[in-house]
Amino acid sequence: MPPFVMVQAIVRPEKVYGVMKALLDAGFPAVTKVDVFGRGKQRGLKVGEITYDELPKEQLIVVVSDEDAPLVVDTIVASARTEGKGAFGDGKIFVLPVDESYTISSGTKDEEA
Amino acid sequence: MKQVVAIIRSQAINRTREALVSAGVSGFTVRKVLGRGKGNVDFRVLHGAEEGAIEAIAQLGDGPMLVPKRLLTVVVPEERLAAVVQTIIDANRTNTAGDGKIFVLPVKEAIRIRTSERDAKALE
Repeated sequence: MPPFVMVQAIVRPEKVYGVMKALLDAGFPAVTKVDVFGRGKQRGLKVGEITYDELPKEQLIVVVSDEDAPLVVDTIVASARTEGKGAFGDGKIFVLPVDESYTISSGTKDEEA
Repeated sequence: MKQVVAIIRSQAINRTREALVSAGVSGFTVRKVLGRGKGNVDFRVLHGAEEGAIEAIAQLGDGPMLVPKRLLTVVVPEERLAAVVQTIIDANRTNTAGDGKIFVLPVKEAIRIRTSERDAKALE
């Protein structure tokens, strides 16, 4: 069984459909999307006197086999990044190990993603 | 310790909760999520529908798209892993596509904040 990884990406809400489209085109249709709020290294956004430290983001969860992980990460980076050089707040991607994966409808352990 | 992440049907959450509680798992977290499986999604349609275009809304329902699901997270000690996975499968299986997925991830540490108990003790 090839090892699986879970790719968790935190991206801008306005980019999320672009990222999901890019993942679909790259051959990774299965994605879960969660609304999240958070802040990053810049300690949120400061506008005048007000600091926003709970910025809305979207978290995407994709589970793929180990060797597909770099492609998925590259796809997300390319589509989630602000045009040009990128900007603070474009997000983060984490890659976590997955020991086992099951498909409930068949009740079987997955051999491939 | 393992973290079991299950993406299941929204309407199956009560059944799953009861099954898990009777299997002796009392602590877990559930979130409302949107997702898609192996099916294809036309993003122009989805986006159009979100903006309220009538033609786009009329096209919804044709193919698989982002479906509301529940994301269930539970951390269990290794020896109960198989039982918990089987419980979730039994409670959710209808033999049709869309029943969901279960992923098992390793967990390095667990801490109960109230008492600072660690690992196995924190999961008791």
